[in-house]
Amino acid sequence: MKSFQELILSLSQFWAGQGCVLQQPYDLEVGAGTMHPDTFLRVLGPEPWRVAYVQPSRRPADGRYGDNPFRLGKHYQFQVILKPSPADVQALYVKSLEAMGLDLRVHDLRFEEDNWEAPTLGAWGVGWQVMLDGMEITQFTYFQQAGGLDLQPISAEITYGLERITMFLGLSRSIYDIEWVPGGPTYGQVRHQEEYEQSKYYFELADVSFLQAQLDGWEREAKKCLEQKLVLPAYEGALKCSHLFNVLDARGAVSVTERVALMKRVRDLAVGCAQEYVASRERLGFPLLPASERREPDRAEGHGGAAA
Amino acid sequence: MTGELLLEVRCEEIPARMLEAAIKELTQRTFEDLMGRGVGPREVETGFTPRRLVLVLKGLPARQDDQVVTEIGPPKSAAYGPDGQPTPAAVGFARKCGVEVSELRVKDFSLAETPLGSAATGQGKQAKAKMTGERVYAERHVPGKPTAEILAEVLPPILLAIGWAKTMKWGSGVGPWVRPVHGIVALFDGEVVPIELFGVTARRTTVGHPTLSPQPFDVADSADYRQKLAARGIEVRFDARCRTLADEMAARAAAHDGTLVDDPGLLAKLGAICEIPGVMEGAFDGRLLELPREVLGTSLRDHQSAFTVEKDGAMLPLFLTVMDRPDDPIGRVRAGNEWVVAARLADARFFWDEDRKVALAARFEDLTHLTFQEKLGSYQDKAIRLATLAPAICAALGWHQEESAAAEAARLLKADLTTNMVKEFTSLQGVMGGIYAREQGHAEPVWQAIYDQYLPASVDDRLPRGHVGIACGLADRLDTLVGMFGLGLVPTGTKDPFGLRRAAQGVLRILLEAQLPLPLEPLVRQAASLYGERLKRNADQVLADLRPFLADRLRYLLGRQELTYDEIDAAVGNTGDEAERTVSDVAARARALHEVRDEQAFLAVVLAAKRIANITKGQPDHALAAAALAEPAERALHEAHARLAAEIDAAVARRDYAAALRSIASLADPLERFFTDVMVMVDDPAVRSNRLALLQSIGRTLSRVARLTEMVVEKADYR
Repeated sequence: MKSFQELILSLSQFWAGQGCVLQQPYDLEVGAGTMHPDTFLRVLGPEPWRVAYVQPSRRPADGRYGDNPFRLGKHYQFQVILKPSPADVQALYVKSLEAMGLDLRVHDLRFEEDNWEAPTLGAWGVGWQVMLDGMEITQFTYFQQAGGLDLQPISAEITYGLERITMFLGLSRSIYDIEWVPGGPTYGQVRHQEEYEQSKYYFELADVSFLQAQLDGWEREAKKCLEQKLVLPAYEGALKCSHLFNVLDARGAVSVTERVALMKRVRDLAVGCAQEYVASRERLGFPLLPASERREPDRAEGHGGAAA
Repeated sequence: MTGELLLEVRCEEIPARMLEAAIKELTQRTFEDLMGRGVGPREVETGFTPRRLVLVLKGLPARQDDQVVTEIGPPKSAAYGPDGQPTPAAVGFARKCGVEVSELRVKDFSLAETPLGSAATGQGKQAKAKMTGERVYAERHVPGKPTAEILAEVLPPILLAIGWAKTMKWGSGVGPWVRPVHGIVALFDGEVVPIELFGVTARRTTVGHPTLSPQPFDVADSADYRQKLAARGIEVRFDARCRTLADEMAARAAAHDGTLVDDPGLLAKLGAICEIPGVMEGAFDGRLLELPREVLGTSLRDHQSAFTVEKDGAMLPLFLTVMDRPDDPIGRVRAGNEWVVAARLADARFFWDEDRKVALAARFEDLTHLTFQEKLGSYQDKAIRLATLAPAICAALGWHQEESAAAEAARLLKADLTTNMVKEFTSLQGVMGGIYAREQGHAEPVWQAIYDQYLPASVDDRLPRGHVGIACGLADRLDTLVGMFGLGLVPTGTKDPFGLRRAAQGVLRILLEAQLPLPLEPLVRQAASLYGERLKRNADQVLADLRPFLADRLRYLLGRQELTYDEIDAAVGNTGDEAERTVSDVAARARALHEVRDEQAFLAVVLAAKRIANITKGQPDHALAAAALAEPAERALHEAHARLAAEIDAAVARRDYAAALRSIASLADPLERFFTDVMVMVDDPAVRSNRLALLQSIGRTLSRVARLTEMVVEKADYR
């Protein structure tokens, strides 16, 4: 039975072996690994890209004060992007399960339709939820659009739910019982206090008017950066807004009509960043393209050119 | 067998919901295309799994027959000059067809069917529309092609054109298709048909199950293919998989002295998500049986695609679903499924325990936070309106005993929208409220009304139980329809975000099937007034849109009862007071028309009604002076009419519309004599006016039951 960190290690090892950049979690609050700029922005434009990383993902409304054995306000995703999606991507995924220590000759593995859509990112994809013995262990998505832009090439996104998989492999009755390290400490020993305190904060203490002002402020910052064509800081502003929206929502401070308007504000930022990102990479001459397909960087813009 | 095509397209997992339609489309298009080219198969077999589309055609000819193709050219007048010499147009046409000008011939195509050869080259339809009169044509001899060559031509475009509900691209932007393609087997009599799809070329090699038998293997023909797949446990026939699953699950249920709870939709889903039809049996904690079976069944079905088992009307702590493998060698599949089910049902138990801590009556207060529609207010506003409208419906139907229960149920009708269970399982809305109301001691008519409020939702559904249920079901839907129409949100085309068609259909089905003598218009007005100032339109404007909308749905519903459109339109158009009209009365009139429509006298009277409508069209009302009728035929008609009036009135009054129509039909003879003997539009204005008055009066009688002029009469029917 694999511990939480052994699972992370074996997936990291496996995907590093497939030529992935072994990236680290993004250092801002995000709701999913998809929002890491190394996914959301890198899937745009023509440049090839392979990346793998763990992303702690915050969903304030899912918090349960550490009381619920299956639900967390923050969970860990293992995220893989393969761009373009290779012809054998499904087979690679199956191999990654074997790398986790699964003997698929005794399990039931099925791919059931589950299309992914993130309206706040202007993004959607087609794919499956991967079911192992009746349990959803992975979201497998071929991205079709992000930031409102049609994608070409197409990226395959593989998102493993790390807690769920560890729990499932050990048939544990509670997330908090799983071993983070073989022999302990457990997941609960590492994270339970955080789950309790964050739930308490998000549900009971978070200052609504302060958060609303923060959201307005970060939106302004993001727009300002976009005007200056500083796409990465602008995108961080968008991520801040998205997280603040989630906190306000958990706090019960978003009415039905406000929800639509707020989601549109976040979406507009994300779409703006996506478009600007493609333009910025083009100015750099799409440096990740093979030399033969690369373009001359536009040096007039003052970026570092090929160094980016 | 010779003349066999084996086609297998392998790809990543196709969504279960799309498979059946796709294989049908592939089969039909291929069949039609090959028939059109004169190389149709004698037998067709199909199959699919999530990873394969399989088509087997047997008895294909080795090659197409040689054909004579007729090419149609310019009109004769343009092809030959006055001197009979061919024009440049004719010369050009002959050159295009590869024949000498002297070989061109002339024929009048307006009299002929479009020639077969031309249709086969794909120009048939256009030709048929344009080619009229005398034209020149040429006959070309076209040698038949080998079938293998035709297959190679025909299959790729058909495969590419399958109309998937949702498509995707992959890799460098390949596609669109439903999922990435991995392999093609295309064999005609054992030889590979050289086709290609998205860079994947056809071979004679396929693979087994992705984790159990992934090694590639070659196949020779369909028998070999099926036998080799069977050796790997794979069944490509969907029906056979469903049968195996159903039989095996029934046997497992029987082993526990239970029976499987039937669910054809779920069985089809399970059959479509496996290629090896293995049955997974699991158990759950028997203490969970305290939960309502609706909850257990929904959780197991929605989350786990699992069947439940019952014994003597009670659920057993068992579930059955599919696994895409034949066995469970170390029990890990079962352990996994049971783990997931335990977690899911623990959630359900948590919701059940939490939800019952707050009474439905208290939840009524929380409904203020739940928006029904932005401009129409909250669900609490809706519940308050329904608490007036539902009892009003009871009152209108004379169900005075039930008025207070209807008010009680209506107030609680939407309270379950605030429960955890309904937030998790939206399909349980209504049902959950009913169960909680039962738990909390509300009277049977009240909890049943809440439980049944969304019935009937689909074709096979029953109606709500009891008067209170019917009143609440009607009130809820009318309130929604009137509210949305009152904002001008009338569904158009296929767009119907608020489910208004379904709401309208629900209203009509309840009224029809419970045969309620309930006129809708007064209720629509009351529903509109309950909205106060919220609506943008007044009740008259709402009714103006709602009437044709409801009539459309009624046409659809009655059409399903084998009533035809003209019968329904005639019945909808009856001349009674619109405010008093009821749906069940309209249906009764349509059924009466259906019953008598083939009777000779009735057909005659329908034609007479049309004639009268033509003659009196645009005429002001004329006053009848019976004493002034002089001609025997007009007097006879008038007397017959006067004699029948009471009989018709009586039949209409007792709603025996078939009898009324037959009485009306007995005017056929005097009417026929009248039209033979009497001229209506004579010069003498007094005589003319009197005759028009007679016809107007008779016209009104003819439409006592239905607007007969709507009836379609084939002349051939009227002998």
